[in-house]
Formats: sequence, structure tokens, C-alpha cells
Amino acid sequence: MSAFIQYTLQGLAAGGFYALAALGLAVIFGVLGVVNFAHGACYMLGAVVSAVLLDVVGLHFWPALVIVPILMFLFGVLLERVFVQWLLRLDVLYNFLLTFGIALVLVDLVKRRYGVSGLPYEQPAGLRGQLHLGSLSLPTYQVFVFAFSMLVCVLVWLLLTRTRIGMIVRASTEEPERTRALGINVNRWVTPVFGFGIGLAGLAGVLAAPFRAITADMGGNFVIILFAVVVIGGLGSVLGAVVAGFLVGLVEAYGQAYASSFSQIAIFVLMALVILVRPAGLFGRQETA
Amino acid sequence: MLEVTCLSAWYGEAQVLTDVSLAVHEGEVATLVGRNGAGKTTLLRCVMGLHRSLEGQLRLDERDLDRLSPNARARAGIGWVPDDRGIYASLTVEENLTLPPVVSADRAWPVEQIYEAFPALADRRASMGTQLSGGEQQMLAMARVLRMGSSLLLLDEPSEGLAPVIVQRIGEIIRQITDHGVGVLLVEQNVTFAATVADRHYLLAQGRVVEQLDNAQFQAREHELLEHLGI
Amino acid sequence: MARKTKSAAIAACMTGALVLAGCGGGGPSAGGGKISDDKVVLAVLNDQSGVYKDLSGPNSVEAVKMAVADYQKKYGDKAVASDIEVISADHQNKPDIANTKAQEMYDRQKADIILDVPTSSAALAVAGVAKQKKKLFIDVGAGTTELTGASCNKYTFHWAYDTAMLAKGAASQVKNGGKKWSLVYPDYAFGQDMNKSFTSAIKEGGGTVQQSIPTPFPNDNFATFITKAASSKPDVIGTMAAGGDLINFVKQFNQSGMRDKATLAVGLMFITDIHSLGVDQFAGTTFTDAWYWNFDKKNREWADRFKEKTDTRPSFAHAANYSAALQYLEAVQRAGTDDSDAVVGELEGKKLNDVFLRDGEVRADHNVIHDTYLAEVKKKSEVNEPWDYEKIINTIPAADAYEPVSKACSL
Ligand SMILES: Nc1ncnc2c1ncn2[C@@H]1O[C@H](COP(=O)(O)OP(=O)(O)O)[C@@H](O)[C@H]1O
Ligand SMILES: [Mg+2]
Repeated sequence: MSAFIQYTLQGLAAGGFYALAALGLAVIFGVLGVVNFAHGACYMLGAVVSAVLLDVVGLHFWPALVIVPILMFLFGVLLERVFVQWLLRLDVLYNFLLTFGIALVLVDLVKRRYGVSGLPYEQPAGLRGQLHLGSLSLPTYQVFVFAFSMLVCVLVWLLLTRTRIGMIVRASTEEPERTRALGINVNRWVTPVFGFGIGLAGLAGVLAAPFRAITADMGGNFVIILFAVVVIGGLGSVLGAVVAGFLVGLVEAYGQAYASSFSQIAIFVLMALVILVRPAGLFGRQETA
Repeated sequence: MLEVTCLSAWYGEAQVLTDVSLAVHEGEVATLVGRNGAGKTTLLRCVMGLHRSLEGQLRLDERDLDRLSPNARARAGIGWVPDDRGIYASLTVEENLTLPPVVSADRAWPVEQIYEAFPALADRRASMGTQLSGGEQQMLAMARVLRMGSSLLLLDEPSEGLAPVIVQRIGEIIRQITDHGVGVLLVEQNVTFAATVADRHYLLAQGRVVEQLDNAQFQAREHELLEHLGI
Repeated sequence: MARKTKSAAIAACMTGALVLAGCGGGGPSAGGGKISDDKVVLAVLNDQSGVYKDLSGPNSVEAVKMAVADYQKKYGDKAVASDIEVISADHQNKPDIANTKAQEMYDRQKADIILDVPTSSAALAVAGVAKQKKKLFIDVGAGTTELTGASCNKYTFHWAYDTAMLAKGAASQVKNGGKKWSLVYPDYAFGQDMNKSFTSAIKEGGGTVQQSIPTPFPNDNFATFITKAASSKPDVIGTMAAGGDLINFVKQFNQSGMRDKATLAVGLMFITDIHSLGVDQFAGTTFTDAWYWNFDKKNREWADRFKEKTDTRPSFAHAANYSAALQYLEAVQRAGTDDSDAVVGELEGKKLNDVFLRDGEVRADHNVIHDTYLAEVKKKSEVNEPWDYEKIINTIPAADAYEPVSKACSL
């Protein structure tokens, strides 16, 4: 039983990374109609920037949790202004070529500058060791990752449902063209939304820094699972991204625990099943499939 | 107020509108009548700026629309009720209503007035858009442009699938706002309804305006027209 | 005009930068007609851009150049190989690329020997090419025992380590108290091979393997596997993960709180791994090392020279590439020619000693055995200078460090 609870927590912690990053992917796709294949690279960049700032200016985990996502937001704004905005008028093939190309360039630049064997990162103060709950002891950091990513998801959810900006983002996500015809300047929101999505990927990267290998390649495997997450949740669905993120984390953990040779296949079996039963994903609107 | 001159439009290679010219004046209801596939919806989308493959001239109050984006056109006073109603599934009824900006404070209906006019919406203001019935969605789509205070309404088959009482109610509202100087371009297959609200009618066939009738002529030829429309 | 000529000369010099000797010499070479194409070409084929770049990669090319310089310094005018060139290429750890690059190096670039070649599948591919072309190949970077087993051949040597040697070194801690083991291994050829070697070495040493848990490869989430490995309350948890996966494993191992309850043994680790993760995260971890730069004065002197060239400390792979290149050139010197068969004859059965090889011997199966070490990662408080990361616990004499000559190999 206690092992089961540990597996569940591990799944939810891993799910937190997926949920945050997939949330960013979902709002970007929703508002821009762009599938950002560079999302894994932005996650990587979040972790690398945290490690570099720790090394160079001694910026610790807690402030990094705020500052790095802001830097990544600015980076996203830059990317959107310089590159991504030109995609909005073009065939989806260019979307793939450009964002995938950006990912390759980022990964290579990081390799060139920081090598391939990874950057060191400290265990954040206050999050070391174990939490003891009765007979159960759980790694503090994993509990934190789960709770923090949940909190961010809830905040983003409130932002989306309780504010006018959120209303516009939801409307643009659902029907960008119609929303324009109702007098809303959707284009004005495109740049900040892209930056916001990249900021969320960067935030997942900061959270990963004490927990995972910080290497130029860390986004490669991550982005593959991330796409499984958004397909399961429904492309462009914000709630779907979050629910599917945690779901995939759990499937991964239970798979590793009870059928280790199948743990990664399990995610894609789940994806295939979802596509068969609900082609637009769990929370996608079916007519868009 | 709206002037369409020699408008032609294409989907890829296929031409769906050919040299269409028409006008809608202040306080007037003009209908666009024609079979399915005649190009009515396409014409409205051209006016809204959503269909870009076109030639010809579009003017609103002497102003060229060419260079205006869809959102600028909406702010210039064009209110659109699309044929599929265009209610957002992820927004509540009230959010659907308040999403677009108010473009003219004088003309805009306050939310309270809207709930008075459509009590069904008042009851469901917290429901999500898709939980509404077809009729309620249609009312919401109308209500949305009323709240914006648009000066020109493009209504794409607003009576479709509605109970006769509600159709009647919509007719009343149309007359009420035209009294305040709003112009309406109404796409309608319900010839009887069209005849009760409109001043003038354009017959559209295969992307061309084949006839222009005033309401008296239109009523006189109602049966012939019904046959032509295949309704 | 003068300026133009000068920059052209600089450009010519840059492109010729790999040519280490014979620049403007022009005189007849000491070996006369004994050296093929009047030049000995050493080719380093390894990972110049991917996961193994830091632990070997471009700095192994530097190490080979150091060997060339040392050889030339030692023999001066008497050097049989007066004109020596070092070339390199990136095989991206892919066997098909390794295969074509190796052919290109032997045929077009006139390579007399290929060095390094990490990644077992790529190494086996190059061994095949070496056999076919009758040219030398000394593998340093790959771990498979097959190079000196079923796939051994006359022209292929295996220098630094193999999976059996890693297992024997790690299992030497059974006698220090690490009796019960849980093993976690990536589910592909290398990991499976390591799992087998470790299981048999631990049993031979008198320990037990409670669990062997396969994981996906690559993988970034090991938390569940660690919980599972810990469930049988082992003394030692052994991981066969490498590179980025290893770092993932160790970070998550530390967070799981297992560090206080079990020793972590790492199957294959390079000092560059410790450096990149930070010594604190690895503190107390044990692993088999083929060579450590700060082991004794001799190693340290060489490491200082290496640092001057590369601004970093050497991994065992760097030192092994130096050793392999040096011993090859010594064999050429003894043979008086770079003819492959003659050089092989000068290597076979020889006892060798240099900065890397302690009590080294080229065995009948061309496995080059030598003393190996069981190392433990220092605590942060014990570290006295950058890269001072290891404490050597056991030295495993060459005779005990490897499996006996494989019956599968017939040269
Ligand atoms: N997205 C589209 N792509 C290609 N053809 C279209 C598209 N939308 C409509 N059409 C075609 O254009 C013509 C006019 O359509 P539409 O304007 O919707 O007619 P109406 O509203 O009068 O029924 C029809 O023949 C229809 O098939
Ligand atoms: Mg239509």
C-alpha cells in the first residue's frame, strides 16, 4: 500500500511537468494555431538558464522560479516577433519546419556552449529530504513539484475563467476568426500568449533542474511524451492538457512499477485508445477532429 | 450605408459570386434570398472581411472597407449573426454576450434590457454556451450584436429552426432597431418572414443578383419565388 | 599583395594544423620505403557532438597528439615514423556512419590505425572493416566483450575496459560488506550485457542479486524504479544507466532518501559525469575506474600536461587513447615499419607499461588487461581542488580484473 502511494505521488510529480508544459502548448495552439515543436527545447532552456544563473550570479532555486519564467516569456515574445508571426499566414508544413528548426538550433547552441554531459544543480534549500506522514515517507521535492504545478494550473485556470483576458483567450482558442469578426483584436494577444506558453515551458524546466539531468538533449524525449499528452487531452484544450498531463504521469509511474518493460508503450497505447474512441481527445471538441 | 459594388468572390478556382452590387440604407431591411449554395453566406463573409479572395468594392458610410481587418469592421459598426450562430462552447451565456466590445454607446442595449427582451437567456446566464437549445443560441447570437450597438446587422438565416413565436419576436426586434436607424442585411429562406420585415429584396442565383424587388412586388410573387427557391 | 600572401600562408597553416611533423622538412624520411605513403596516419573516430563528446570526443584527439609529440621527442632523428598525421571524424554513435567513415579513413585518408570508437555497435562495425582492410583498430570507448570474444580478429585490440571488467571491479565490494544487490538497467544491448556481467560477478564474489529491473532507454523518470529497487532492502543498488540517464537516476536516487539506506554503485561512470552533476550529488557512490588522474604522481604529471592543452582534467578514456596511440607508435618503432602484420606481431603478447597501463598485457584475445580500481566519490568537504573527486578503495590486479580469455575468440 505504501509503495502504491509512492508510485502515485511519483506519477503526479512527473505529471506536473507534463501538465505545465502541455498547458503552454495548448494555449499557443489555441490562439495562434501553431503547434510549437520547439516546446521541449524551451523546457530544456528553462533548466539550462536556471543552472547557468546559479553558476554565474548565484541565483538560487526560489528566485529562479520567478525570474526564469519571466526571462523565458521575453524569449518567447522575441521568438514570436522575429519568427513565429510569419507562420500565421502560411501552410502548416512551415509551422513544423520552423519550430522544429528552432528546436534544433537551440539544442545545438546549448551543446556548443555548455557541452553535452550536463550542468550541475543544487538541491533547493528547504526541499531536501523526506516528508514523514505516519508510516509513509515521501520525497519532499516530489510533493513540492506536484503541489506547485497544481497551484500554477489552478492559477492559470482562474486567469482563463475569471478575467476578461482569459475570456478573450478562450474565445480566440475556440474560434479565432469569428472572434475577430466580433471586434476583438486577436492579433494583439498573439505575442503575449506565445510568450506565456514559452514561460510555462520554462517554468517546467526550472522545476526539472533539481530533479533531472540538465543537458541539451533533455527536451527531446520530453517533447514526444508532451505531444502524446496534448493528443490525449485534445489539441488546444486547456483543461484537457492539465488532466492528460497528470494522467500520463500516473500511467507512466504505474507502468514502471507493475509492467516495467511496457511503461513507455503504455502511454502510447492510451493515446491510441483515446484516438479510437474520441478522435479529438478527451476534452477536444469532436467536430474539429 | 452599406454599398457593395461589382463584388466577385472565389473559393480557389471556383467563382461563387459574380459582379454582385447591392445597397442597404439606414433604418432599412434588405433581404438576400436564394437557394442553398447561391452564395449568400459568402457575401456576408466578404462584407465582414473573413473571405479574402474577392474583387470589387465594399463601402460602409462612404468608407472603403478593403483595408480594414475584421475586428476593425466590427468596431466600425458591422454586427454579424453567423449562420451557425457562433456561440462559444467554452464561454458562459453572459460571457458570450459581453465578449464583443460596445461599439456605440447610444445604440448598445444594456445587458439588463437584453435579459428583459430574452427572459430565457436571463435564466441561463451562467450556463455554458453549448448547453443552450438551438433557439436559445439563435437568440443569444442576436442579443450579442444588439449589445454591441452595431449600426449595420448582417443576419444569416436568423429564423432557421425557430418556433414561430420566437420568429415573430425576432421580427419585432428587427423593426424596433430599424426605427432607430440601424440597417439590416437579412439572409432568409423563410419567404413569409422576409416579407413581414423587409423593405427591399435581392434575389441571388448562382452568385449573381438576378432581380431586385420592393416588398409589394415580392409579396405578389411569393408563390413563384417559393418555387424558384425550391422550398 | 604581401598581406595577401601572408594570410594565404596562415590559411594554409590552419588547414595543415593537424599535420604535426614534417612541416617544411622535405628531407627523406628515416624509415625509407618502410612507411606506407611515407606517412603514419592515426585516425580518431568517435563522438564529436553527442553524449560521449565530453568524456572522449575532441580531447581524445588532443591526447593522441600528445602521444605523437612524446614519441617524436623520444626518438628524434631515429624515429621510424618521421611524418605523422592525426585525423579525426564524428561517427555520431551510429554503426552505419562508423562503417563508412572507417572505410573512408583507411582508403582515402590512408589511415594506418583507427582509435577510440565508443558505442558497442559502432565498434563492432569498425572491427569488421579493420579485418577486411587488414588495418589496425584499437578500441577504447566501447564496452562490449564481443570485441575480444566472438567478433575478435587479428587487427582489432581492446584497450581500456569492458563490461566484464566493470562488473568485476564493482563486485569487489561484496567483500567490503555489500552482499545484497538490486540492479536497474536500461533495456538495450549494453544494459542487458552489463546486467548479465554484474549478476555473475556478484554471485561469484559471494553476493546475491535480489532484483534486476529493466527500464526504458532513454528515460528521464526513474523515481518508480528506485522505489521498486529499494523494496527488497538491498545493501547496494546498482545502476547501469549512462550519460544523461545516469544523472537523472542519481538526482532522483538522492531525493528518494535511499542514499542513507543503501550504497549506490554505478556500472559505467566517467569523471566527466561527476563533474557535470556536482560531486555532492554523487558522494559515496562507488564504481569501477580504469584510471584516475590524481591517483599518483605519474598520472598527475600527465594530467597537468593534458590540462595545459585542453583546460580540463582527463577522463580514463583520454588517457587510454594516449596510451593506445603511444604503444602503437612504439610497436611501429620496434617493427621498423607501419606494415599492419608486423605491428600486430610487435604488440601481441607484450607486457606494456605507461601512464595508463599498469601491469598491462596484450592477451591472446587482444584484450589489453591492466590494473583497475574500485573508486568512491568523495564528499564535497574532502575535495581539495577542481576535479579532485575520487577516492581509490581497492586496486584490482590485472590478473583478477578481467574474465579469462574467451573461448569464443579464435584469431
Ligand atoms: N469553404 C468553402 N470551400 C469551397 N467552397 C465553398 C466553401 N463554402 C462554400 N462553398 C461553396 O460556395 C457556394 C456558395 O456557398 P454559400 O455562400 O455558403 O451559399 P448559401 O449561403 O447561399 O447557401 C456553394 O456552392 C458552396 O458549395
Ligand atoms: Mg448560407
